[in-house]
Amino acid sequence: MTRADPPHSTHDLVVLHTLRCIGFAGLARVADAAGLPSPDTESTLIDLAVAGLVTHVPGDFGGWGLTDAGRAADAELIADELDTADARTAVTAAYEEFLVLNRELLDLCTAWQTRPRDGGATRPGPADQANDALILDLFADFDRRAEVVCAELSAAVPRFLRYRIRLADALARARSGALAYVTDNTESYHTVWFQLHEDLLATLGIPRH
Amino acid sequence: MTWIYPLSAETEQPASVLGGKAHGLVVLRRLGLPVPPGFVIGTAACRAFLRDGRPPDGLAAELAAAVADLEAATRRRLGDPDRPLAVSVRSGACVSMPGMMNTVLNLGLTAEATAGLAAETGDPSFALDARLRFLSGFAAVAIGLAPESLEALVRREIEHADGEVAGLLAAIRGVENLIRARTGEPVPDDATRQLDLAVTAVFSSWHTPRATTYRRLHGIPHELGTAVTVQAMVFGNRDDRSGTGVAFSRDPNTGARGPFGEVVFGGQGGDVVSGRSPTRPLSELAEREPAVWAGLLDALGRVEGHYRDACHVEFTFEAGELWLLQVRSGGLAGRAAVRVAVDLADEGVLDRREALLRVSPAQLRHARTPRLVNPDAADLLARGVGASPGVAVGRVATTADAAVRMAAEGPVILVRPHTSPLDLHGLAAAEGVVTALGGPTSHAAVVARALGKPAVVGASGLTVATGSVLAGGRVIREGTLIAIDGTSGHVVLGNPRIASAGTDPRLRRLLDWADEASGDGSDRADAERLDAAHAALR
Repeated sequence: MTRADPPHSTHDLVVLHTLRCIGFAGLARVADAAGLPSPDTESTLIDLAVAGLVTHVPGDFGGWGLTDAGRAADAELIADELDTADARTAVTAAYEEFLVLNRELLDLCTAWQTRPRDGGATRPGPADQANDALILDLFADFDRRAEVVCAELSAAVPRFLRYRIRLADALARARSGALAYVTDNTESYHTVWFQLHEDLLATLGIPRH
Repeated sequence: MTWIYPLSAETEQPASVLGGKAHGLVVLRRLGLPVPPGFVIGTAACRAFLRDGRPPDGLAAELAAAVADLEAATRRRLGDPDRPLAVSVRSGACVSMPGMMNTVLNLGLTAEATAGLAAETGDPSFALDARLRFLSGFAAVAIGLAPESLEALVRREIEHADGEVAGLLAAIRGVENLIRARTGEPVPDDATRQLDLAVTAVFSSWHTPRATTYRRLHGIPHELGTAVTVQAMVFGNRDDRSGTGVAFSRDPNTGARGPFGEVVFGGQGGDVVSGRSPTRPLSELAEREPAVWAGLLDALGRVEGHYRDACHVEFTFEAGELWLLQVRSGGLAGRAAVRVAVDLADEGVLDRREALLRVSPAQLRHARTPRLVNPDAADLLARGVGASPGVAVGRVATTADAAVRMAAEGPVILVRPHTSPLDLHGLAAAEGVVTALGGPTSHAAVVARALGKPAVVGASGLTVATGSVLAGGRVIREGTLIAIDGTSGHVVLGNPRIASAGTDPRLRRLLDWADEASGDGSDRADAERLDAAHAALR
């Protein structure tokens, strides 16, 4: 396989790498995750498609995705970025801390999803609300520790700042009553956390076994 | 002794002192069952340590005496170059609690003792594998290294080495280097010092953020503290007449009388480390190790008699000799819990009042989830862990892209080694998901529950290839119709019968008993009928 031309602008790498970490997605999700306006994101995606790095599939479950060439180009560019910033040691150390936090986050998500509801009633009762509030408090407590790791990552590689913003946003929405932002939404705390996990693996070149 | 108790039939302290794990081991000893010799450091020592920031006065002397007793009982010595004693060190609060770093195996295997074990057994791979497990456990417990990082390091070293012994040696050096890089010091090569460090590390792990969060989630008091169980090692990887497994007195998925369970026959060193030893049905023990099988049947009968409930034990057999490492009772889900309660009443073990109180409203709600009918008789492809309840039927897709493509023509089951955010569109398009790896908190499990779709995870009998799935020597092509049960973890070929609970005669009988107890036969939801009975009986 010959390598496609690498992307040139900063937006190119942001959009390419966002797609690498969130997987196959529609324009709105890519723009949200990348933190760019929708029109800019779309024109960047089209440039990347012309370069053979991404592809668009129409249909109900369609959207934008990386090609094999796009995946290879991203791996190379991200590794360059890491080495240019001399950040491998710092990101590796932060990844260790991430892994310790990861287990706790998964405990919290599982507790949230399997929490008992009052007698199976369709509308949550007062006991459910108290239980939800407890788990959300624990998420907030967890988030203060996650913030430390995100700060270390952002200090090493600035693009990681985007995760801090998205995690804080998901938590704030969940705490204001939009409960789908805990585990169930495409911008939920769990979804963003898992994309951060994918990003760390991609950035450090660690294969998922 | 003030702080430490032997694992013997004469020990009478309750689970709040001994921890749940050690309390169960004492029960096993009282029932005359084989338990590796050892002792337990009670929860009071942990509380004192957490309060004062140092081990309580007298603990060191008691620990030395307990180790001396264990050495006498096993005729081995900790750190001895000729007949080394290796021990397991495990945490155990009076309630089960993930998040505490909890197990160090093979403690005492200093470099010299490992050489001794290799000479004694004539099996250097076995001894090196044991030392590697010790170092990995020690690094996780005493230093807090993430198990994922350790596993990745070990896998990398073993894959890149030339031969098994070279791989194990390289992995051992790698873990030693990692520990030195983290702490500035090597792992102490003094077995007694290793034990002291492991015990205080287990005490300290009570306060890890994850453990603290778990206690808050589940309303467990923060001041309980954990016990520490220390036992002579038994080696399930010792030879081909060794192994390890779990045995249930009744099928945890259906509640049918057992025994049921799984066994891993002990492979050699690297096989076990890399997780390549296959899990086999428990019943294979009957032919391969009839004495172990007979011992297990006897043990399951005795523990059921003691607890008057369905039980399961973790066991290891070394060179054909059976040892029990843990016992637990109850803990069944949904319809299995209903069946066990009704059957135990029919068997005369429980009266109807006790049977009704054994079933919780949550279990009753779960009993209404659709299930596969008799999946063990169906064309079974694999058995994993049910991670999101319900039944899904559809055609196999092996990639998220294929799932999206195929979903246009009908229901699809996504079958993956594991899932990540990159598979989200496939998870959205599929009716259900199966992963070969991962557990109930894996990405696939969390997302499937969020989407309300059935999921089976950790179906280790499956290998996902491009465009097909390998299952027990068979090739299942993409597009083949399969069914999954997200409660039991069954993955079966074709479109088998599905049961909802309305047809379950035991559930009907239990609810009739509930109405008798409450004196109210009106038409209500199951949970209300059970609640009324519980209110009347309590």
